[in-house]
Amino acid sequence: MQSQSNSALMRTSSAGMSDRWFSIALIAPAMAVTLIFALLPLAYALDVSFRFADLSRGKLGDYLGLDNYRTVFADADFWSASWVTMKFTIVAVGLQMSLGVGIAFLLHGAQFAKGITRSLLILPLATSAAVTGLFWRYLYDTQFGVLNFVLGAIGLPEPNWLGDYTIALWSVALFDVWQWTPFVALIALAGLQALPKEPFEAAELDGASQWRILTKLTFPLLKPVLFLVLVLRTIDCVRLYDAVAVLTRGGPGTSTETMTFYLYRTGLKLFRMDYASTMAVFFLYVMLVAAVFALTPLLKQFTDRAKES
Amino acid sequence: MKKLFLSAGLIVGMASGANAATCSNPVQITWSTIAGFYTDAMANFVKDFEVKNCAKVTVVNIDNSQLYNKQVIEMVGQTGAYDVVTLETAEKAEFAQNGFIKPMTQFFKDKQGLVNDVAPILRGMTVEYKGDIWGLPYYTYTAGMFVRQDLLDDAGEKQAFKAKYGYDLGQPQTWEQHRDIAKFFTRKTGEKLKGEPLKKDFFGVGLMAGPFPEIQDELSAPLWGMGSDWLTKNGKVPVDDVEKVLGQYVELLKYAPKAALTVTYDGVMNQMKDGQIAMTHGFFLDQWPNAVKTEEMVPGAKMSAIEAPGKRAYVGGFLLAVSSSSANPEMAMKFVAHIGGKDIQRQFAELGGASTLTSVLSDPYFSSPAMRSKTGQYATLNKVFQSMNGFSSNLFKTPFGAKIYNSMQIPLQAAAAGQISVRQAAERLAADVEKICGGPCPIAD
Repeated sequence: MQSQSNSALMRTSSAGMSDRWFSIALIAPAMAVTLIFALLPLAYALDVSFRFADLSRGKLGDYLGLDNYRTVFADADFWSASWVTMKFTIVAVGLQMSLGVGIAFLLHGAQFAKGITRSLLILPLATSAAVTGLFWRYLYDTQFGVLNFVLGAIGLPEPNWLGDYTIALWSVALFDVWQWTPFVALIALAGLQALPKEPFEAAELDGASQWRILTKLTFPLLKPVLFLVLVLRTIDCVRLYDAVAVLTRGGPGTSTETMTFYLYRTGLKLFRMDYASTMAVFFLYVMLVAAVFALTPLLKQFTDRAKES
Repeated sequence: MKKLFLSAGLIVGMASGANAATCSNPVQITWSTIAGFYTDAMANFVKDFEVKNCAKVTVVNIDNSQLYNKQVIEMVGQTGAYDVVTLETAEKAEFAQNGFIKPMTQFFKDKQGLVNDVAPILRGMTVEYKGDIWGLPYYTYTAGMFVRQDLLDDAGEKQAFKAKYGYDLGQPQTWEQHRDIAKFFTRKTGEKLKGEPLKKDFFGVGLMAGPFPEIQDELSAPLWGMGSDWLTKNGKVPVDDVEKVLGQYVELLKYAPKAALTVTYDGVMNQMKDGQIAMTHGFFLDQWPNAVKTEEMVPGAKMSAIEAPGKRAYVGGFLLAVSSSSANPEMAMKFVAHIGGKDIQRQFAELGGASTLTSVLSDPYFSSPAMRSKTGQYATLNKVFQSMNGFSSNLFKTPFGAKIYNSMQIPLQAAAAGQISVRQAAERLAADVEKICGGPCPIAD
């Protein structure tokens, strides 16, 4: 009887609100913000994607059924931008993950200057791509840039970093790698430092080789963290805009025109909000499906662990 | 005596009170415009207007690349955020056609002298649409060309050029001559220029082939020069003509610094001041104060502003127009007339701004040696306007002009960079334009 009344007390707040309603009240502001700033615009975009909407002609037009989707899927520029985005994402995320994890291991084993290195790693992340992109544009400048000055001084070819359509995308990727590798490194380092010591001590006592420890213990234990970083970086790279806007504006030609940049151009230069919304909806759908597929095993793993503990 | 002081104090107090009463509630107007020199210089003249008209003008500086988008959004939403807007030449028809701006024909009825003072070609391109007047341009970036006159005048270079090409070296009169000169002056480090060995590579021409609309401004010169246009009277892109001029332009890239593929006008000016190039392509004459600095920075350099070969070049000006959603359109119109008027245009010219008024451009004072560093291009600008009198481009007569203008650099630059062929670029431009207009573009009479 005593315990029953205690539990009833726990389920009601002092104001007489049940735990259920109290928790709803707590998340209500966040839900309201999400509703106003995410779900309503999304619903609006969905509506626009089925209508004629040339913003420069004023009001929204008639419903066109799936015409906008047909037009977008038949648009070669849309697929070209998707291909550019995919190439960029694979290369940039691949490099960021490998370099970031490598740096994390180096830092984890470092005996000195660990703190200052960690602080320095935060610097590229501390400024927006719009600002650092401007610095990089000057670094890449073929006439007055530091990169070509150094390359020229040691007798190496001086590429046209942002003007040569065969390498411009990789120049943007290099900038993105510079900016985001520290993020991967810091998260991976935090993951490494949080690993339990016991399995490693046991493995050492059993005489396991470094390679075996790395492949059978470190990476499997670190997998959830790395997977999460991978998903975050992939999402970020897929919606790349700022670096392209500052460095190349999608050029030369369309060689660095990513999905988001093409969407911006369609929506805010040509004011075809119908096509832009259609692309955005499709883009969101693809990202959601990919994220669900990618995150499901990870969430399951977290849930299993929570249950075990 | 005490009474006298009291009376005097009362009179002063009443006078200042009356003054305060007349301007205690200034009319608020907002001007959206381009961040940079144009606006910084104009900001000084806003004060004058405020005092004379009991107004408060808020100037909103917006980066040129975002100005069009921002203004369209505000116009469509009829937010009234901007009373006075700043439009590029290609944007006028769209804003007028869609009712974003108010016609000012009636307002200027008793100010016809001012409207007529705007250089006629500029008036046709930037001010008039479907028989109405839509504002006043306050700044022109109409193109001509900048050349290193010292190179063209050098006896040794003249002799070598004549021996190679069979005609005299001088200011180019045709695009073929322009190409020959560009090729002739393109030299490697160690080769001689004006008899002196070069310490770095030198190029015949600076080009704006970066991912900016300036590439089409450059190409307008040879395209208009050959009697063609970006849009035919049927509203279609003349693919063969575009292919021809783009092909010549791509050829010219061989004689330009490789940075041509990333830069716009400021990059070309830097190349000029750094002593890297002999001349420009069709280039904005308002950049003269910048170009003439080459004379200080490159020993022996002498600059000239000339008409582009074929006497055709891009005509552009920033039009000040009044938003349809303005809460104070009358004050906004007064402001347009103030900034575009002769007094302010003269003061603007004193600061080195490129005026739009014939009376200012043809004033001998601005072409005098004392003003050379600021307005030394005025005589040439006048010549350009005279040579182009009667010309008009269909690009500025279609309500889709702004959208076309904002996207045509993509295929053009793709060809310049070698991503696609010149023919493909011309065809793609035609397809893009057709897509934007939903068929042949409508052209206003």
